[in-house]
Amino acid sequence: MSGQTTPQDRGQPLLTVRALTRRFGGLVAVSGLDFDLHAGEILGLIGPNGAGKSTTFNMIAGTLTPTTGDIHLAGRPVGGLPPHEMAARGVMRTFQHNNLFAGMSLRENVMIGMHVGLASSLLGVITGRAAVRESEGAARRRADELLDFVGLADVREHDVTTLSFGQGRLLEAARALAGEPRLILFDEPAAGLAPAECDRLGRILQQIAARGIGVLLIEHDMRFLLELAHRVVVLDHGERIATGTPEEIRHDRSVIAAYLGSSARTTAAGGTDA
Amino acid sequence: MKTVVQAALVIVVLSAIGFLLGPWQTDIYRKLLLWIALALSYNFLFGVAGQVAFSHFTFYGIGAYAIVILVTQVGMPLPLAALAGVALCVVLALAVAIPATRLDGFYLALATLALAQLFIVFLNEGGAVTGGTGGLASYRLPDIAGVTLSGPRYTVVIVLLTTLTWGVISRLDRSWFGRACRAIRDNPQAAAAMGIDVARTRVIAFTLTSVLAGIAGMVYAFVDNTVNPPIFGLENAFLLLFMVIIGGSGSQFGAVIGATVLYLLPFVLAPLIGHHHALVFGVVMLAVILVQPRGLVGLVKSRPGAGQ
Ligand SMILES: Nc1ncnc2c1ncn2[C@@H]1O[C@H](COP(=O)(O)OP(=O)(O)O)[C@@H](O)[C@H]1O
Ligand SMILES: [Mg+2]
Repeated sequence: MSGQTTPQDRGQPLLTVRALTRRFGGLVAVSGLDFDLHAGEILGLIGPNGAGKSTTFNMIAGTLTPTTGDIHLAGRPVGGLPPHEMAARGVMRTFQHNNLFAGMSLRENVMIGMHVGLASSLLGVITGRAAVRESEGAARRRADELLDFVGLADVREHDVTTLSFGQGRLLEAARALAGEPRLILFDEPAAGLAPAECDRLGRILQQIAARGIGVLLIEHDMRFLLELAHRVVVLDHGERIATGTPEEIRHDRSVIAAYLGSSARTTAAGGTDA
Repeated sequence: MKTVVQAALVIVVLSAIGFLLGPWQTDIYRKLLLWIALALSYNFLFGVAGQVAFSHFTFYGIGAYAIVILVTQVGMPLPLAALAGVALCVVLALAVAIPATRLDGFYLALATLALAQLFIVFLNEGGAVTGGTGGLASYRLPDIAGVTLSGPRYTVVIVLLTTLTWGVISRLDRSWFGRACRAIRDNPQAAAAMGIDVARTRVIAFTLTSVLAGIAGMVYAFVDNTVNPPIFGLENAFLLLFMVIIGGSGSQFGAVIGATVLYLLPFVLAPLIGHHHALVFGVVMLAVILVQPRGLVGLVKSRPGAGQ
């Protein structure tokens, strides 16, 4: 898998992160981080607990404002935009802990992911304009396709509270895809999944990238990530300590040292065995 | 097409009932329809959008007073007065919602309670404009294109108000907008990640439903041909809240059931047990909340598959 050609030379990167820094009081959670992510690429972001992965993720998703540094999406500056603006620009995310809309069906959850594309004039909604009804019908059909894609078509009308944790993860992936994003951010998607579920999720991530969507994958489970990523950025104490192909990362001394030097040995093993 | 026929049928039947009733029943029937209209829009605000606002009945009062003042004191033609009343509701709703919805939901509750209290003070202290504690009376609905809308004809106006409110609310509820509102109610953080502008959606939901309440108030103004401060106090604001909760928060049918049961209950209870009915009323509400937290509609809809 790691021998795959990377989509790096496809011209302008989809996402560029330059000198990205975030401080919490005296603590520098992310420090001068640089990386690029191309369309169709799975970029892995790894590092031991507390390395600054989630902080980086949240700055790109718009949940946290960078202290300094730049984030560009397809050449446009997007640093500091609120989450809904990032989603409107094609950046969708999943949550580390499943964040589904309880009391709604799977299909409705996926349709909420289509909000940006569906939102039209409220006058059209109130007057029952035909175009509104048609786009609603099309959204429904697309939601069903996406549920089929992640293997949840059979339970699409069930309430999401009936899902297992692993199924919730898959639904989150379908919901993120629903917005026809250019970039999807996955925050530790494999955490808490059984091995079979991990495999299924891995295949789905590869198919997502094959559609030309950029994937930023945050994991501290090395095995899952190195199998999937085209390129990897390694963080430790908020700084990038290595970057390269999974093969290079596997043999990088500073990475091995960072992982062995922290409690990550146990967490890296725990991720898939749990 | 099918829904148009259904809607027309409902309007015809509900209007026909208006022609069969005596004066006393007509009064109850009209107010029941108005309560249902209010409960429908409030259910969207409270139950679907999850906004704990206490101003819904206040907007009903604002609409009622506005149209009377604009027609009788300012001398505006009725359609213009109605438009101005809607504009007033929009401005006031935005003034409350824009600052309040950006903060925690608790502040919306406080801000709307403050608005409700301010409105009562304004009515009582408004001198000749609001008629003070006695309110305004001795006015009547101007003829519309030469037609006098009174008696059962005015009941038809109320039927149209209620059915239109139902139509507007159900279209909103089943659209991307209703989904966005429910998403925000359940999980604002995840909703924002889906591209939903949380603050904006909340403000729109608040303003739209408040305008619907204001329009209902305009219709109400010519039911009794008098408006006075006690009607628009907090007591009715809380009755409205209980209608939505007892009926089944978030459910449109629930709002209809809740409004019907709570509005009619005192009429049934009062002859049986006299002035103790308020106590029994409270006990019945408590019992429903404890036994069936999903509200009365939960009794009907608890069968699997009945929800769709
Ligand atoms: N909201 C916050 N306030 C203060 N410190 C924070 C906050 N979020 C994260 N941190 C700190 O920033 C560092 C990086 O955290 P995080 O990005 O969550 O790491 P990771 O996701 O790699 O485990 C940690 O030391 C963490 O304690
Ligand atoms: Mg983390």
